[in-house]
Amino acid sequence: MVAQNVFFYLLAGIILFSAFRVVTSNNVVHAALYLVAVLAAVAAEYVLLAAEFVAATQVLVYIGAIIVLFLFGIMLTRAKLGSDQDLTHPHWALSAATAVVMFGVMGYALVDQFHWTATPLPADTRLVSVDGSNSATVSDSVFTAYLVPFEVVSVLLLAALVGAIVLARKD
Amino acid sequence: MFAFLLQSVASTFDRPAIDLHALAPEFVLTGALVVVLLVDLFTPKGSRGIVPSVAGIGILAAMVPVLTLALDGADRSMFGGAYVVDNFSLVLQAMFLLAAYVVVLLSTNYVAEGDYAEGEYYFLLLCALLGMLVMASSRDLITMFVALELLSIPAYMLAGWRKRDRRGNEAGVKYYLMGVFASAVMLYGMSLLYGISGSTLFSDIALAVARGNGLGDTTPLITLGVVFVLIGFAFKVSAVPFHTWAPDTYEGAPTPVTAFLAVSSKAAGFVALLQLILIAFIGRDDVVGPLMWVLAALTMTVGNLIALRQTNIVRMLAYSGVAQAGFMLAPLAVVGSNSDGARSAVVTYLLIYAAMNLGAFAVVLIVARKTRSAEIASWGGLFEYAPGLTVLMTVFLFSLAGIPPLGGWLAKFVVFRALLSPDLTAGGVILAVVVGVNSVIALYYYANVARQMWMNPVPDGDRTPVRIPFSLAAAVTLSVVLTVAFGVSDLATHLGDLATFLPA
Amino acid sequence: MSDFLRDYLTVGIFGLTGVALVGLLLGLGSLLRPTRPQPQKYINYESGVDPVGTGWGQSNVRYYIFALLFVMFDVEAVFIFPFATRVDAYGWFGLIEMGIFIVVLALGLLYAWKKKVLRWV
Repeated sequence: MVAQNVFFYLLAGIILFSAFRVVTSNNVVHAALYLVAVLAAVAAEYVLLAAEFVAATQVLVYIGAIIVLFLFGIMLTRAKLGSDQDLTHPHWALSAATAVVMFGVMGYALVDQFHWTATPLPADTRLVSVDGSNSATVSDSVFTAYLVPFEVVSVLLLAALVGAIVLARKD
Repeated sequence: MFAFLLQSVASTFDRPAIDLHALAPEFVLTGALVVVLLVDLFTPKGSRGIVPSVAGIGILAAMVPVLTLALDGADRSMFGGAYVVDNFSLVLQAMFLLAAYVVVLLSTNYVAEGDYAEGEYYFLLLCALLGMLVMASSRDLITMFVALELLSIPAYMLAGWRKRDRRGNEAGVKYYLMGVFASAVMLYGMSLLYGISGSTLFSDIALAVARGNGLGDTTPLITLGVVFVLIGFAFKVSAVPFHTWAPDTYEGAPTPVTAFLAVSSKAAGFVALLQLILIAFIGRDDVVGPLMWVLAALTMTVGNLIALRQTNIVRMLAYSGVAQAGFMLAPLAVVGSNSDGARSAVVTYLLIYAAMNLGAFAVVLIVARKTRSAEIASWGGLFEYAPGLTVLMTVFLFSLAGIPPLGGWLAKFVVFRALLSPDLTAGGVILAVVVGVNSVIALYYYANVARQMWMNPVPDGDRTPVRIPFSLAAAVTLSVVLTVAFGVSDLATHLGDLATFLPA
Repeated sequence: MSDFLRDYLTVGIFGLTGVALVGLLLGLGSLLRPTRPQPQKYINYESGVDPVGTGWGQSNVRYYIFALLFVMFDVEAVFIFPFATRVDAYGWFGLIEMGIFIVVLALGLLYAWKKKVLRWV
């Protein structure tokens, strides 16, 4: 348990530092690469929580695909890349204050609800473990409780692709 | 170590019971959108005019199973209660299908004559419609979220469909950025609710949320979760202060898409709000009530005051739509004392609002075909060369203003009734006064357009009659018949009372 | 620590060993090799010719569509992985449901192909 906590805070530190650099970096590409560090560390946190499947998904989809889209998007829209001084929003102090207040409110609410103790999640009867295999459990819930959203996701992806092709096409 | 990916598991699996009849509307619509895509891909460029017909037929075909399910009358529940067919979902699905059919009628000429990707337009429209059908049946956070994304993502792209036009781009980007921000806030709220209840089912969330801190009081985390989720949908229904995207998006998007956003997309937001507030958060009216009270009062007042100053009719309708959303939010402020009345009032209002607002947009589209402008000033003297259209537009405008015996009057009436019954509460009475004052303010800008049409001279002296294409004529006819019928009969209130939820 | 996390600790140790090994070899190299800095050595290598312009160019919108297609099938893979562990238990039911999912996504590929966005000219 102790080693787990040590790793948790280590990863949390990496996430905080990288996330801070994402918003303070003067180079958009650097910001995107710091985001990779954030996402990777979050994936490691998932492993600490024994959620291997979520961790694998995080690496496959976010680091593997979404960041690629980010980088292509950045390179598509800005021809000249490098450090930019105008990346910082003029009202950044206000935004920072808002963020701090939101952090305070959310932090207070979470501590108030769960205190500083480890609270096991109430068991969802639909998510009982299947033979100790994480992915099999996920699969069973996708194919029982979440069958409709699962099929709807395929239409959603198709719609996103078709729409994006229409908007990006040159004709 | 990676055994978890390859492990062969021998344990048994209980196949979920799938009621094909209950899912038939979604299946038919999915089939229709696949056909639309294939028709667009495999027909030569010249004969793509059949795409809107295919889309329209698909929508009407999906209406058939909705009607057979309604005739059958049995409530159906699947996947442990995550997906249901009840009176509420059937009434709203029928409304979504009919509204989308009118939008297809509105789009036919507009899209064919403009420089648009035609097949994909109808494909995305049907995708968004599928999201709305799923939304009306979802009783589970994940199903609801996926439905919301399916109805939003095509809408973001349709809003930016005029891709060579700067205003079109602005419309799409603004709507998209605001929309995904709202989705993110909502998703955070959903994760909090899941953390509290350990389930994504509305019925389980209702138990955990009502239990609160064990004494029935709310806890900060529950309040935060409820507020975040509701704010996510407040963006969707363009409630103040989350309305900032609406005017620019409405103005920059193609006008049929604006009609779709103003009616169907907004209705979908209300459908989600109703399901959340009346099923998942039913025990937490001490949180929901005040939030909705403030949102409703702000939304109608700010929407109306800004609508007063608009000179562009589409922007005017956009802000009037914001104000109308405020009227629809008002009954939700009294869910604690009158939950059935609130549900019935919102559903009734939605049905009437859809009919009259689609009608108004149809007339705007017809007139814009001649004047090539959306400025209210260009509507001067419409009566001199298009008396029939003028009468129809006056009907829609006075209905939106809430003048008897048109539908909009009944819509306002049910809102007042919900706010003031079963007993008078201070919050309900004050909000009813706010609704009353706002109805009077709204009358001014609706009447202004009517005055322009009836009294003012034609600005450019061009009195050639307006040519009305068949599809637009059909759309106007359908809208006006419903607007008047909803006003003089109790059809809408009857449907509103009928649209009950499956008891959990 | 649970057996589960002990497994991952092995991964962590392996990763750290890798980093340490690379650092060690590079460090050793920098100790042994001669150091003569020249400005020419800092120019980007472009097949032996002097580079023209800056290192960054605006990328083509085609890359974006390819990336989008990739995202789509990546998500498909994410759903297929857990499905594969249970495919025996699901039988025909699972195959039909997954079949619908894949066919709908395949329509996207068909669309991209017919609209000639896959062609690289």
